Amino acid sequence: MSIEINDLTVTFRNKVTAIDHASLKISDGIFGLLGENGAGKTTLMRVLTTTLAPTDGTVTLDGIQYHKKNYEKIQKQIGYLPQEIDLYPGLTVQECLEYMGSLADVPKTLCRERIEFYLEKTGLTEHRKKKMKQLSGGMKRRVGLIQALLNDPEFLIIDEPTTGLDPEERIRIRNLLVDFSEKRTVLFSTHVVEDLAATCNQLAVMKKGHFLYSGSIQNLLDHAAGYVWECTVTDPAKARDLEQKYRISSKQQAEGGIRLRILSRVKPGIDCRPASVTLEDAYMYLQNY
Amino acid sequence: MQKEIKISLPPYKVSFALFFVFILSLIRGVSVSCEIGTAMEPALAILAAAFCADTYVQEITGKRSEVWRLYPMKKKLCSVGTRLLIQEGFLLLLAAIGFCLFFLFQKPRPFSFIQPEAGSEIGQFLIFLGAMAVTIAFWSILSGTLACIFRSLWCGIGGCLLLWLMANSSFAKKVMGPRNVFSYAYRNITDTGDFSWLAGKGICIALCAAMLLLLPTLLKKRG
Repeated sequence: MSIEINDLTVTFRNKVTAIDHASLKISDGIFGLLGENGAGKTTLMRVLTTTLAPTDGTVTLDGIQYHKKNYEKIQKQIGYLPQEIDLYPGLTVQECLEYMGSLADVPKTLCRERIEFYLEKTGLTEHRKKKMKQLSGGMKRRVGLIQALLNDPEFLIIDEPTTGLDPEERIRIRNLLVDFSEKRTVLFSTHVVEDLAATCNQLAVMKKGHFLYSGSIQNLLDHAAGYVWECTVTDPAKARDLEQKYRISSKQQAEGGIRLRILSRVKPGIDCRPASVTLEDAYMYLQNY
Repeated sequence: MQKEIKISLPPYKVSFALFFVFILSLIRGVSVSCEIGTAMEPALAILAAAFCADTYVQEITGKRSEVWRLYPMKKKLCSVGTRLLIQEGFLLLLAAIGFCLFFLFQKPRPFSFIQPEAGSEIGQFLIFLGAMAVTIAFWSILSGTLACIFRSLWCGIGGCLLLWLMANSSFAKKVMGPRNVFSYAYRNITDTGDFSWLAGKGICIALCAAMLLLLPTLLKKRG
């Protein structure tokens, strides 16, 4: 499965341009989507789910052009978990998933098998008889993810699936997505950079409707290599001074004082050493330099 | 079906509808049984509008509409249709219960007692149920349609309230006559052989059919 976006522009009625002549190619596996709030990630996802028609440009899914006459064909191949979704509060987890599965036209027996499988995979089996309104935010998120998987989509679009999950559950969901992405495409939008580092090979970074970067994670890390520095200062005033002068990607109270990670193209004028680049550093570097 | 019942008839909706009919039968005075329909039709209309406005729009307020967009149209129509039928069935049952409660609380004189040629009370009750079925269907479909067009529950209820105020007036009675959507309530209750009010119900049925035909387009464009 491959998705090609060419020169895509989305302008709303109020003349705000959410996506501005953006091009991208997404192929098999998990593809990460990163960007600050308002960068255009959700708008892009809404275009890809056929909720929003582009103002200009083309989008194709396995060669099928996004056009009203093809929407039905495209929609069958998509699973979607929006950023916010409030599933039927009066239904139990099992009922809710069975209902959404039937709406997605999944045969009853197959649907039940899939529900069983994904409830087990997401650690929700023991909660299947609980009403949706009784679930925690993280549990609701997991049920939301299962509903997106029920029709066994070729193209899964998920907007912040790990929001509200505890560390163990996040790892479970990440592993589930990695297993699922075999021979399929998963577009994974998140603010949690470490989720992308743990699951994706490829990612795109958006800013103000443009793609700042698109490619492998390693390549992005290489971009920032040599520009990340680490130092420890004992004087808080000195730390504040450094924060004024440089981009700081991390600030931590450590044994010997305050440990800072500084992003700078030249070595800062302080006793510091080059540090290995994390995806968070690379993202910050890309956004700011 | 069981899931659709749970979605369409949550306890709070069932409670407020029951309470509404209970209070109505308690405070609205009727002296003759044939006045019960006159008393209940406009009240049931506004209840149906408030009750059914969220039939589809709950998918929008629950932020599920973007997922619904991916479902086949046939399945979506089937689900919305089932929800409407369940709610209308419940409201019709409530109308029947309300009719009995009026007898219980208001103790009206049977019309057949005053006018023997009027026919049996059961016959009048069945005619009442038929008229209420059309009234309930019209107002529930109308509020659901308006709510879907404006993507707002309150626009659905508000739009219906406006039409209700216009139709439920002596001006509308004079202008529209038996073609009014409340033709049953405004019928000549002393003449049980006069069925000219069926014209109003016929118009309601035609409008219901038109709104239902519009539903696939609405779900596509505003869903």
